Amino acid sequence: MQKEFPVFSLLNSALNTISAALLIQRWYRQHVARLEMRRRCTWNIFQSIEYAGEQDQIKLYNYFGFLMDHFTPASSERNLISHIFRKNEICLDTEWERYFCYKSIEVTKSYTGPHLTFPVTFCGVSKLVEAFKHKEQLHARYVLQLLGETWRLLRTFPNISHVIACHTKPITICGDLHGHLEDLLLIFYKNGLPSSDKPYVFNGDFVDRGKNSLEILLTLFGFLLVYPNDVHLNRGNHEDHIVNLRYGFTKEVLGKYSVHGKKILKLLQMIFSWLPLATVIDNKVLIVHGGISDTTDLDKIARVDRQKYASALRPPKMKSDSYLESKTTETDLDEWKQVMDVLWSDPMPQNGCIPNEVRGGGCYWGPDVTEEVLRRNNLQLLIRSHECKQDGYEFCHNRRVITIFSASNYYEVGSNRGAFIRMGPDLVPHFIQYQASTTCRELTLRQSVGWTERSALQALREQLFVHRSDLISAFQEFDPNNKGMISVTHWASTTERVLNLGLPWRVLRPQLVSSTQRGMMDYQQWIKELSITEPKLEISDNSILDTMYKNHSNLETIFRIIDTDHSGLISFKEFHQTWELLRSHLKTEISAKAIADLAQSIDFNKDGSIDINEFLEAFRLVDISAHN
Amino acid sequence: MAEEAAAPAAEFAPAEIEEFKESFGLFDRVGDSQVGYNQVADIMRALGMNPTNKAVVAILGNPSADDMANKRVNFEAFLPMLKQVDAMPKGTYDDYVEGLRVFDKEGNGTVMGAELRIVLSTLGEKMSEVEIDSLMTGQEDENGSVHYEAFVKHIMSV
Repeated sequence: MQKEFPVFSLLNSALNTISAALLIQRWYRQHVARLEMRRRCTWNIFQSIEYAGEQDQIKLYNYFGFLMDHFTPASSERNLISHIFRKNEICLDTEWERYFCYKSIEVTKSYTGPHLTFPVTFCGVSKLVEAFKHKEQLHARYVLQLLGETWRLLRTFPNISHVIACHTKPITICGDLHGHLEDLLLIFYKNGLPSSDKPYVFNGDFVDRGKNSLEILLTLFGFLLVYPNDVHLNRGNHEDHIVNLRYGFTKEVLGKYSVHGKKILKLLQMIFSWLPLATVIDNKVLIVHGGISDTTDLDKIARVDRQKYASALRPPKMKSDSYLESKTTETDLDEWKQVMDVLWSDPMPQNGCIPNEVRGGGCYWGPDVTEEVLRRNNLQLLIRSHECKQDGYEFCHNRRVITIFSASNYYEVGSNRGAFIRMGPDLVPHFIQYQASTTCRELTLRQSVGWTERSALQALREQLFVHRSDLISAFQEFDPNNKGMISVTHWASTTERVLNLGLPWRVLRPQLVSSTQRGMMDYQQWIKELSITEPKLEISDNSILDTMYKNHSNLETIFRIIDTDHSGLISFKEFHQTWELLRSHLKTEISAKAIADLAQSIDFNKDGSIDINEFLEAFRLVDISAHN
Repeated sequence: MAEEAAAPAAEFAPAEIEEFKESFGLFDRVGDSQVGYNQVADIMRALGMNPTNKAVVAILGNPSADDMANKRVNFEAFLPMLKQVDAMPKGTYDDYVEGLRVFDKEGNGTVMGAELRIVLSTLGEKMSEVEIDSLMTGQEDENGSVHYEAFVKHIMSV
């Protein structure tokens, strides 16, 4: 029996309150930590799939390069391959001017989009931005005219832009935009439009992935033409027509400009190769898109003939009559490495410098390399982009390197913020962060983690799906009695071995595998559950289907290369030849007859040629990937 | 709520340990297969424990502020710490509900949001305003009351 002592009951009550508070606080912190772990998992998924795609493309391109170097002239595939490495047509500039002439393109009265007068003015470009905000499209005539002026201007620029920081005009530095017009508009809203009082540096990757790559380019080029001394554009690894074939920019242009798209793309190809490679502020701050390597030499970069590198993915051949007989010199290779390193490299925490196998190009460089390169070139800071960061920016290498990334919601709505840098003559960076949102609702942390996570898991399931035959064979190694069961531990290690994405499979397991019994799972059932598409064609051979799904992006890239007149059609013969070439690269055993049958069945119009879009559509996984 | 005696530390299954190791790796931002002392509490929480910060500091051997900021620990050293924390009482749904019932003055299943905010920011291991806002978003009704059983169900469903 407890006597009623007021002091005791007060004390008890106070203790209860504190215990209760502690309990809630502990619980809350656990909740946040678990969300953080899910967020990191999701991030890893997106990033590893993204980089695996880049690596895949470079491998494909290297493979064709290998073929180029080793094919004898008598080979029947020669024509096909030389498509892929089309000689840079050796034309005089005057001939190009004629080809790109916009004057014959008439702007009819029915056109309701924005008009541009030349030479462009600040007013004209601002009106253009307003028009883009209202989703209007610029007439092909004006596009070609604007791009033509841009090309002419860029040819007068050096490889490295030099900028002086000044008290009255702090410099704004932006990172990857990747076709996200809403982010560029947000930056202009927060920071003001470019002008002689408001200098800007845009650090590459303006295009691909987002839907408004062209509008971003036209805007940036417009301001460049008006303020050539105050707007500085650095080339990124996506300012590259081969990369554009895979990542959406080519498709965007052809979709928006069906008649003149091909010319526009060709002109852009030349503009990209003429974009400067770096910007230096006050001889102290180096800005490049990717980064550096232990051999980075600014003097060499300044001397390179940058327009030789239409696509950075392959060393340039010397101009010669026979494409296949030309040789690359050592100087060429050395220069090519300088350019690749600057466009494709990523920093790493450990000392040293190793090839960037994950992306397939450039290097991973360490803090010791940063110190050395900065010291050698008398610099104090390196600003680069190229990698998506959750907060829009990140320091590394003892704060000597900044990554700045300006495309918010890059992987998915709510995945990350974008940021830009403002810098005065003290060269101290100030960061402004933002997040574009098409809906005005603010997602709670938990909602945005959930949303992004769902999207990442979907992308991951697709990857698992396309590798299902390889996965099943690998699982069967651990299931000698063919029971259809495998331990979770073996599932995790095997899946990693097949997919090679470096993901935490055990942590992801509850989201990917519906049930386990005593640490064992039914892998056949699991693979069946992954099935996310019904084949649209009557093809009984699963291995063909799988191969098509797995190599979807590669096929798209190659077809678009072959389709030189951008008609959207390739012949049976070209299709067959392409397949023969790919066969050894993909190490697949699909026979010539099977391919011929396939070609017949996808000749939907029965006119002897294959419609690329229909073909790709037939093998597209029904659920949308994270990058659509 | 009396303090329960700690249960004897149970062994983790090998599969569990593999999973912990993966999670541990997710928090390594440096690439040396270690994590900072100041991350240890959060990793434990991510793995389903919910120690107080004080308990973690004690398990780390009461390091100085400097050590907390700079020292790192690898997985082999981390695992026994995790075991210790695993043995501590975690708190069930009922515990949380009871904990909130303390503030239920009218005994009607609700607590005043404002009162909860004050308590969480001034007592125990104080939460910041940002943390409290994040916790309470969407939980208070038009009278500023929180229906706590639903609240606990909601937060335990992560």
